Parts: sequence; structure tokens; C-alpha cells
Amino acid sequence: MPLDLDPAIIGQEFDRTVEGPVTAEELVAFARALGETRPEYTEPGLGLVAHPTYCVRFRGGRFYPESLYKLIDVRRGFDAGKDIQLGEPIRPGDTIEVRSTLHEVYEKTGRTGSMYFVVIRFTLVNQRGDVVAVVDNRFMHR
Amino acid sequence: MAARLGFDDVQEGDELAVRSLFLSKDQVRAYARAGGQWSPRFTDDEGARREGLPGMITPGNMSMGLLASFLEDWAGPGTLRRLGTTFRGLVLPDRTIRLCAAVTQKDETARSIELDVWLESDEGERWVLGTATLALA
Amino acid sequence: MILDLHLHSELSDDSRAPVEAYLKVLQRKRAERPLDGIVLTEHRQFDLARDYRALEDRYGILILNAAEVETDYGHVLVYGVNPDILARFDFTDVRLPAQELVTEVARLGGVALPCHPGRPTVGLCDHYARKPPLDGVVAVEALNGGSRKGEDARVAELIRQFGYRAYGGSDSHLVSFVGVCATEFDVPIRSVDDLVRELTRGRYRPVDFRPPR
Repeated sequence: MPLDLDPAIIGQEFDRTVEGPVTAEELVAFARALGETRPEYTEPGLGLVAHPTYCVRFRGGRFYPESLYKLIDVRRGFDAGKDIQLGEPIRPGDTIEVRSTLHEVYEKTGRTGSMYFVVIRFTLVNQRGDVVAVVDNRFMHR
Repeated sequence: MAARLGFDDVQEGDELAVRSLFLSKDQVRAYARAGGQWSPRFTDDEGARREGLPGMITPGNMSMGLLASFLEDWAGPGTLRRLGTTFRGLVLPDRTIRLCAAVTQKDETARSIELDVWLESDEGERWVLGTATLALA
Repeated sequence: MILDLHLHSELSDDSRAPVEAYLKVLQRKRAERPLDGIVLTEHRQFDLARDYRALEDRYGILILNAAEVETDYGHVLVYGVNPDILARFDFTDVRLPAQELVTEVARLGGVALPCHPGRPTVGLCDHYARKPPLDGVVAVEALNGGSRKGEDARVAELIRQFGYRAYGGSDSHLVSFVGVCATEFDVPIRSVDDLVRELTRGRYRPVDFRPPR
């Protein structure tokens, strides 16, 4: 296990935080910043839903488990990629519970040298108990 | 509700028309604000250089968002079910980028399609690579 | 015989390409990329039990297995992986000793070839700038489908200086890019043993099927 992490923390939930409520203004601003013009994403009203990638905006109460902060300089990291699985649409007024787990840690070398990759999984659940998205975030650190 | 692409309208190997767009610094800053990523690396050249970057960069989340919009413009809103991306290089704003995609698989049972998606420079350097799943009617 | 010597399936951590999807692309794009086979070079792993013969039979395309490992001289492709090589080297180690790898893999029946040598940090050119050259390298990847501007050009000088043979591969992590760069061999290749023999002593050259820009 890279970084001398306790393997037992892989897959364990380390944070659960409720965010929101989401506002129509936030959803519209996000969509418009992407150049969206479709009314489903930009017109306030009953039909307004979040752009499908709005789910990446949620990060929970802490980004990493406590034990990782001691091993990595979390300020010096780069987003290496994301995988999002979409569920129910996010709507104005939704509160989103972010359940965070450390999904994987591995090491590899690339153009910029040797790096650790940390994969954090956020499971996003709305106030009705529907999963709105599962987001796997891959961050790289030296 | 905008029209949605039908499952039978698509073949493995279909390539989406490439979308070229000029990604301005102002647009990147607007995204950084709306996306909760207001930090020097995404908003200010000098601040980004202090972090060892060549200048302000585009958030990976924004690249994903642009690719998602590109796909849904083709297939219809609400069709995107999964998008996975790898950020392979820095996407610097104030230049033209190209959004590209190709259908790689059809799932007859789920009536969904898999696509390769990527964001490249005007010179063909691929900075964001990924795949997507779209659910079609 | 034309083979893509360097590509990754969904078994590699940063690839999303099912093997069968690669074969479908090669079937569809036969006119532009006339490949006879592919060699899967998964990152930091090798499974001796992996068997793609059913896909080979269905598509009529050769599928061989190899590995891409990480060393103190950058990334290296290992062809002809066998139980002895796996017992000797831990492919998950990102700091394998490159000289030992090249020497021992050859002794144990395979061949280890540096890949994307012009790439910063993980390519041979950067390491040769500050460390002694490796003994026993027979070929380097002169054409890599994932190279950035200028990276492949650095390799020409490396080849000229050390007399290395040159091969090509797509380094594809997405289905769409299979076979954009490949290697043309003068003789047929039907097995891993044939491949190792030809890479070590045969005649071959990189071929570029990328559309002109």
C-alpha cells in the first residue's frame, strides 16, 4: 500500500456532510458558464434541472480522510480526472448528502515524475434518498 | 423538451461533428466562480505562475462540462448517464479547443451507447480523454 | 505483417477500452489502418492466464499480451513475459532497475524495449542526458501515438547515436486510436515467441497511419 496507509481505510466512509439547498440561480450560473442555452438548464421554473456535471461541485466536509492529510501535502495536488455516474436530476431546493470514501491509492510515473494517485468516491444522495450521482475523483500528488 | 436521438439512428463508428470553440479567460473565470473553484490557478495568470503553472488553467471540471454539453447537444438533454475522463495535460485558456467523440459500442438490451470523447488543441494534442454512456430512446 | 505493439485495455488503470471494441475499430478502419494484430501492453501487470483466442478467432486479428513497466530509466515494454520473468521482477514496482530488466528479460527469453523515449521524465532521452546508457537495448519506440509535439523528433537522434532499431505503437487508451501508429515486420508473426525473435533480430520499421494535419 503506497504511503504506508492502513489498507483498512480503503472503502470506509470518512465523511458525511449535507450541502445545499441548491438554488435556481446557482444552477443557471453554472450552466451558462459552460455556454449552455438550453432552457432545461438555464430557465428558472418548474422544469429547471442541474447540468449533468453540476454534481462535481459537491465536495463534502473534508476532501480526504484525516490520516491522509499527514502523509500528503494536499495543497499541492492536481485533478487527474473524474468518473461520474448520473442518477436522479438535481433540482432547485434539493439538499445533497455527500458520503465520502477513500476508494483507491496507487503510485505511478508520468511526464511530471513519480506521483501518488488518490481516488475519492463521493456518493450524492438527495433529501428523498435518491442517488443523484456517484463521483470518483482522481487526484495526483508528489 | 428538445428532441432526443433514437437508438436506431446511431451506428458503431459514427463520429460526431467536431466542435471548435474559443475558450476565453473570462469564461473560465465565470466557470470557476459558478463551480466553486475560485482559486488563483483558475483565475489569475500571476497567481497561477506562483504555483508553478505557465499561467491560469482551465479546471478539469470545466472540460468535463464542455464535453457533456457537446454530447447532449447531439443526443438530447438528459441522455448522459456516465462520463469518465482523464486529464492528460493543462488546458490553457485564450485559445481554440476542439471537442470530439465517436460511438464505439451499442448495447441493444440497455438501449445505450458508449462513446470515446476527447478534448484536443487546434494542433491535435489530446489533453482530456474519456468515455461516456448515453441512454437513447 | 503489421502490429500495434503498444496499447492498453480497460485492465490498465487509465484506459477505458474493451479489447473487443479495439477489434471492431480495426475491422471498420481496415482501409486506413491495415493491421494484422495488436499487442496489449497493460500498465504494471501481467496475467499469464489471460486468453483472447476466442476473440482472435471471431475477428481474425492476432492478439498478443505484453506489459508496460516503470523503471529508473523510464517506461519499458516487456514482450515474452513468462513465469520466470514474473518471478524475477515485481511489475507493480514503479522503480524497477532498467539495466537488470533489459539484461535479465533477454536471458529469460523475452525482450524489454524502452517506449516513448522522447517523453519527459519517463522517456530514455531524459535519462541518457544524465546517466550512462543501458547495455543491451535493441530497439526503441520511434513512433508513439500519444506523443506531444517534438517528443518523437528527439528519438531520431537517440537512434542515430546508439544504432537502435525502431518500432511504433499507438499507446492507445481509447478505442478510437488503435493502430494509428504501428510496426511493420518483414515476416509473419503468429506467436509471442515469433514476436520476441523478430523484435530481437528481425527486420521491422514503424508505420504511421495518422491522417495528415
